[in-house]
Amino acid sequence: MSDVPKGQIDIRDMRVVFGANGNAVEAVSNVSFTVQPGEFVSLIGPSGCGKSTLLNIVAGFVEPTNGFVKVDGAPVKGPSANRGVVFQQYSLFPWLTVRQNVEFGLRMQGMSSGQRETSARTLLGLAGLIAFENHYPDQLSGGMKQRVGIVRALATSPQVLLMDEPFGALDSQTRVVMQEILTNMWQQFRISVLFITHDIEESIFLSDRIFVMTARPGRIKAEIPVPLPRPRTPEMTATPAFIALVQRLKALIREESLAAMGSELKDGGLSGFGMSVGPNGVAEVM
Amino acid sequence: MHAATHVQQGSAAPAPREPANVIVLPGQPPGVVRASPLPTVKPVPVTRLARWVSNNALSAVLWCVSLGALFALWYFGTKYRLDFFIRFANIPTPAEVFDKVFEVNKSSRYMVNIGISVRRILSGFGIAILVAVPMGLLIGRYRAARDLLLPACEVLRPIPAIAWVPMAIMLWPTNEISIVFITFIGSFFPILLNTIHGVNAIDPVLLRAGRCLGASEARMFWHVILPGALPHIFTGFAVGMGVAWVSLIAAEMISGQFGVGYFTWEAYSLISYSEIALGMITIGVLGLACSGLIRLMGKLAMPWMVFSAGSNR
Repeated sequence: MSDVPKGQIDIRDMRVVFGANGNAVEAVSNVSFTVQPGEFVSLIGPSGCGKSTLLNIVAGFVEPTNGFVKVDGAPVKGPSANRGVVFQQYSLFPWLTVRQNVEFGLRMQGMSSGQRETSARTLLGLAGLIAFENHYPDQLSGGMKQRVGIVRALATSPQVLLMDEPFGALDSQTRVVMQEILTNMWQQFRISVLFITHDIEESIFLSDRIFVMTARPGRIKAEIPVPLPRPRTPEMTATPAFIALVQRLKALIREESLAAMGSELKDGGLSGFGMSVGPNGVAEVM
Repeated sequence: MHAATHVQQGSAAPAPREPANVIVLPGQPPGVVRASPLPTVKPVPVTRLARWVSNNALSAVLWCVSLGALFALWYFGTKYRLDFFIRFANIPTPAEVFDKVFEVNKSSRYMVNIGISVRRILSGFGIAILVAVPMGLLIGRYRAARDLLLPACEVLRPIPAIAWVPMAIMLWPTNEISIVFITFIGSFFPILLNTIHGVNAIDPVLLRAGRCLGASEARMFWHVILPGALPHIFTGFAVGMGVAWVSLIAAEMISGQFGVGYFTWEAYSLISYSEIALGMITIGVLGLACSGLIRLMGKLAMPWMVFSAGSNR
């Protein structure tokens, strides 16, 4: 296994059951896939499909009921600085300045303060945050907080970056800018990324491959390669190839959203709820 | 708060202010500042001062009204010997108490009493911090520690510190230690409970972030759990300091030799009215100074709190 290249995530026969006996709920069922080194992979699916659970297993916060995760051939046992995590909620330590937050992982590794400062400042410079190095998180906007969160996760040079709807709390303008920043940083670091989202355009814009998950229990419903060239630009979102991918993913997710809402809604039941399937699909309504 | 104004200063160029400047520039006619053709050249410190004064002027006035009303009640009550259910007949006047300040300072007795009380507070409160904070962190973090330590604490907690006085005298070898012990008991529980609450109130995502950045359990304690719980710990200090003074004065009145509580009680036994009032005022000033010290320590220990939501003090 030693010749496995850096940054490979191998998920095999993953099954997760929450609760016990009578009220056990199967959250993830029989999921297997591999993220290649340097690859950007998104998981997309309706809410409650177990995509965050899957990421938490790779991060080491949750143990699977069956199956295993290996990162570069080594089984995952608990959280580690080898796997950087960016959370949906703002997770900067409010008592540390921006730079101290970025230095945190390096400090835990026992790096000297001089070296820490140098590498934290380099990273903050790349993310355009050097002017804010001495600010506290509560002084930053939401987008800046998440940028610092990404930089902090990258500071320990992890093998993989795990991102759980990191832009979910941001407004749509900021989101688009953050997506561009993320692709730029990803191309510089050449690190494999597992990205959770429920935003179709976001997943296409960022990813090399997209896995669509089914409603609970979560399975892999489809694997969609994204053949768009890189570097990706916001203009690409208007190209026919991009729009075709959006349509294809929307159709896949609409099926699952309907399934997630229950069988009574399947046969024209939507009208009974006063809802209409608009151009954005039911997934948007949810 | 100062730094926050700083940030606003940086972004908003100091445009000429409206009426605020008029108030603080007594030497200049109001038009000077407002008509200045280059408002960005010099008036930065002036507008900053102006803003500070205008932001705080009303507060200052209200403070004076509040303290003045209290003093006026005392002054006129004792001057006219008011008697309307509340009887001011034997209450010393402000002037008598003021004279007493000089009289008691002729000997070292008064200052020694203050020194002894402060020493007892610092010992009892200091030991309470050293015991309650680590214990609270452990109870908040580990279920086993919670199950082992919390039941005993919960059983002892409802007993007021004053009720410990007779037991403390039997328990400890000297009177001095038993008074320190009662001060300790008084401040221990508020600090403990607030520390536990502080650990429980830490956003779980911060704990996850710490773990996945490679923090070991020991480092989690020092680098995440302690700073995360610190705002609540300082709330515990503030409450604990108040209770510590209540407990100390009661203990000194009952079993004391020396101390401000003893000084006040002794004055009562000797029917020295102005010394009673002076003792009370001394206790108030010392308590105020101690809570001010804790607030200052909190600001120094938690510089980020200025920016957190809901702290527009």
